[in-house]
Amino acid sequence: MKLHRIYGIILRTLYGFKHSYDKMSDAFYWPLLDLLLWGLTSSYIKESSGGQTNILLLVISGIVFWLIFWRAQYEICMGLLDELWNKNMVNIFITPLKFWEWVTAWLFMGIAKGALSFFFAAGVAILLYQTNVFTYGFAMIPFMLLLMLSGWWVGFLITSILMRYGSKVQTLAWSMPWIFAPFSAIYYPVSSLPHWAQSVAHLLPTSYVFEGMREVIKTGHFDTHGFIVGLLLNLLYLAISLVAIRFSFARVLKNGITKLY
Amino acid sequence: MKKPVIEVDNLTKKFGSFTAVNDITFDVKEGEILGFLGPNGAGKTTTIQMLLGLLTPTSGSIRYSGKDLQTHREEILETINFSSTYTNLPWYLTVKENLTYLSYLYDIPDRKKRIAELVEIFRLEPILKKSIGQLSAGQMTRVNIAKAFLNSPKVLLLDEPTASLDPDVASYIREFILRERQRFNISILFTSHNMAEVEELCERIIFINHGKIIANDKPENLAKTIEFSHIELILEKDLSRLEDFCHQEKLSFQTFSKKHIKIDVKEKNIAEFLRSLTEKNIIYDEISIDKPSLEDYFMHMSQKKL
Repeated sequence: MKLHRIYGIILRTLYGFKHSYDKMSDAFYWPLLDLLLWGLTSSYIKESSGGQTNILLLVISGIVFWLIFWRAQYEICMGLLDELWNKNMVNIFITPLKFWEWVTAWLFMGIAKGALSFFFAAGVAILLYQTNVFTYGFAMIPFMLLLMLSGWWVGFLITSILMRYGSKVQTLAWSMPWIFAPFSAIYYPVSSLPHWAQSVAHLLPTSYVFEGMREVIKTGHFDTHGFIVGLLLNLLYLAISLVAIRFSFARVLKNGITKLY
Repeated sequence: MKKPVIEVDNLTKKFGSFTAVNDITFDVKEGEILGFLGPNGAGKTTTIQMLLGLLTPTSGSIRYSGKDLQTHREEILETINFSSTYTNLPWYLTVKENLTYLSYLYDIPDRKKRIAELVEIFRLEPILKKSIGQLSAGQMTRVNIAKAFLNSPKVLLLDEPTASLDPDVASYIREFILRERQRFNISILFTSHNMAEVEELCERIIFINHGKIIANDKPENLAKTIEFSHIELILEKDLSRLEDFCHQEKLSFQTFSKKHIKIDVKEKNIAEFLRSLTEKNIIYDEISIDKPSLEDYFMHMSQKKL
């Protein structure tokens, strides 16, 4: 891997970010809107229940941490989609850039933009609701890493489908991550789900993350077992998704990169 | 004898049951400009994509300076580049941003200096801060060609590089290509639908149709294979008599107006044809005789069924 080539793709993405209001709104507008809508709803519920519940912190944490997952997968999908929309794949792949250098640049952008959105949303939560998601400090960091890994494998899976069917299935980039949301127990415990949904939730690393985070918020206790299960599931799915995306790219080269447009 | 820089051996590409490129073998020599011609759908683009590593061949091999593209991809792509009127750059990035990020994808020692050189050569200064979406087709083509020279390539693949350019800019670009070829001994594979341009630039031409190479020769030799010359005549009267004569002699012709006709006559029969006109008292005011050109060859071979 050559760092200058990874940097080239990062630079190309940053230039795009600078010029695109769509990408700006993805980073700031939607997180802000989520925080307003669900934060105000949670404030109302908290007031209705006599202020005895920590629902506001649970919901705000859910929103803010979900951003890490969402941004990580979204940056991977957008890395491909942006090149498809601009018909720029030829310009990129006639250079010595390697496939895994391209992917590494997406991962880096996922981390950078995830961090940007996360700190923005966390700051807004403090300003609007006096709710600090950093209260539990380092205990949250392992969960943040798991969410990042989950975002990566979901992003790779969606991208491998995009490579197979092109931009006509681009809506998967926005819609597919939300399929995981109801089963990830972002705002409620897994035990509150119907039995069949609990079975699905147990297969998703994200459910262990949000369960673990709630445990930290409620009791201050870090659930090591849940963390390990979440990590192993993530690694398994990540390995599968990497095989899928490599296979899809080989297929792209077999059919021709321009056929993707 | 010049060394081959690109060697293509028995290259084939199949898409299911359709064979887009069928067992072609050719080379491009050091410092040579090779015209790669053929009608639409002939297999040119498929071949170029395989030469760039954008498409995996079904069989056959591609070597650059003796190195196989499959196994030395990174090393080879450092030394080649491509420009096509039909590829886009990200439309919301400025010209400078496009050149900058692409410069990082190559191992260019002094990126700023190289970009500054290209900006000067291709007169990009006034449009440097404009986004690609704001450029005219001609400006975009200039940027695309500048991009192709970014890594000072040893091999260039140019797919209709001057299409959509004003004649003066196209001529400037052609001169630049020839100059760069001479200075750095660049090998160029060149496609164009402008046959005059091909004749001006290319030392050798490969003509491909239905995925197969059907000719590989110098432009003048290809044109010589066409027997017919075009005789254009302007007549005040007698056009209908001349048309009757052409019918009678089974000569193909095209009438443009009541006074203007173009007749295809075998080169060896031109003198006899003109004598016949005099004998029949068919008077013409103006005459021009065009020898068979590369364009005639292109038209003839494109229409020919294999």
